[in-house]
Amino acid sequence: MKKIVLAEDNTTLSLLLKFRLEKEGYTLFMAKDGKEATELIEAHEPDLIITDIMMPFISGLEVISHVRIKLDMDTPIIVFSAAGQEEMVLKAFNLGANDFMGKPFSPNELVIRVKRLLTVVAIS
Amino acid sequence: MINYQPLISHFKESPLLIQIAWVASCVLITAIILLSIYLKIMRYHLRKKEKENTQFKNEYEASLIEYLYSGDALGEMNATQESIIQKIKVSVPIKAKRKIIISVLYNLMNEVSGEMSDSIKLLYYKTGLIRYALERLESKRWHIIAKGIGELTRFKIDEVHHKVSKFVNHPRSEVRKETQLYLVSLFRFEGLSFLNNLTTPLSEWAQIQLLETLQKFDDQQICDIRPWLKSTNDSVVLFALKLAQIYNQFEVQDTLMELLSHPKKQIRITAIQVLTHLYGVEAKELLKANFNDLSLEEQICFFGMLEKLVMPTDEPFVEKYLFHKNFEIQLLALKILKSINIDKYMGLSQTATNEKDSSMIKLVNSL
Repeated sequence: MKKIVLAEDNTTLSLLLKFRLEKEGYTLFMAKDGKEATELIEAHEPDLIITDIMMPFISGLEVISHVRIKLDMDTPIIVFSAAGQEEMVLKAFNLGANDFMGKPFSPNELVIRVKRLLTVVAIS
Repeated sequence: MINYQPLISHFKESPLLIQIAWVASCVLITAIILLSIYLKIMRYHLRKKEKENTQFKNEYEASLIEYLYSGDALGEMNATQESIIQKIKVSVPIKAKRKIIISVLYNLMNEVSGEMSDSIKLLYYKTGLIRYALERLESKRWHIIAKGIGELTRFKIDEVHHKVSKFVNHPRSEVRKETQLYLVSLFRFEGLSFLNNLTTPLSEWAQIQLLETLQKFDDQQICDIRPWLKSTNDSVVLFALKLAQIYNQFEVQDTLMELLSHPKKQIRITAIQVLTHLYGVEAKELLKANFNDLSLEEQICFFGMLEKLVMPTDEPFVEKYLFHKNFEIQLLALKILKSINIDKYMGLSQTATNEKDSSMIKLVNSL
């Protein structure tokens, strides 16, 4: 089963996405902030990371930088961003994010993007 | 048995000041002990309440997710969803629980789109939460009304606009602002029709918020802003001028020209700025002809317009103001001349009679 680390500070949204992604057969590891996310990434070496940009303690940008620079991992990363965070999204891409979704978003669309990214990784 | 007699007699024999100090100390010690006990009890209750709230939130979140995922593709309610609604309905009349339900629903509504967002709205209706928001509109306290309107805006309840729009001219600016945001958030440019009947001033902050809300929409097709440019409410005119500039309303140039003779100076100045943005060449000629009747601020603003819309035929007019006593007008006139006739401008350094003019020419040279 493919492992996904989901870093999101909105507990309801986290739960909603967990339910949806688990239904698709993925194993989810949930983090409430960036610090927990980095710990989970190091502990479980997931196949995909989904992270919000604005989070307490460590931001999504720092999570991406930690994965790409410190851990030197190629794990695909999807970032969530709210309206007005376009600059942050550019920074996220520069740091090595693979895809982004602007909030509000459709969970079904997220599932499609997750599947596509994991397929691309599997092929390559 | 402890004999307190020596202590009592010692207290009685003490000077009055010492006795007062003893009594005060005893009272304070008793108060500290009582307050500590009270604090302990209060903290215990607050922690218990917090624990209960967290537990309720967790239970409610789980029910909400179940509700959202148990719907069918046609959007019809099924038995599971009905039972979840009934379960939530029981908690809605309790204020603290209602607060949690609304906050969770709102947080989620901000993050998801499409059919899920519609399901959340439906849940808001079905659980009776809307009734409490509408009850708030009947309140005598302004902040309750403002909160009620804010909630209806967040949940995109457009069906009650007739109940909300009556607050457009409410005496409190906070209620007015919430009403305006409700109308614009839910009805986009059509919602701006409240400007037709607005008798109270539209604050700068409210204008910024309305413009920000309007810019979020994909459809940027604006309606006719002419009636607002002709409004008797000056703040509405100023807001309409901002709309004309942001949405490049070239078709309202004639109405903007009329505003050049508006009794309010601020409106005249803003109209010049907007006409400059919209390349109002006709306005340039009109202002040039009446230049001496304009106030100093309008004259400066007009030179700003001339800088952008200048043509070689404007040279004789500009030449008259090359040595104007006002710094900004002189600077702009020199810059304009430099842009349209560099030879004449270069010859100015010989004709400059005083040090100030020479310095200005040097300054413009360096630009």
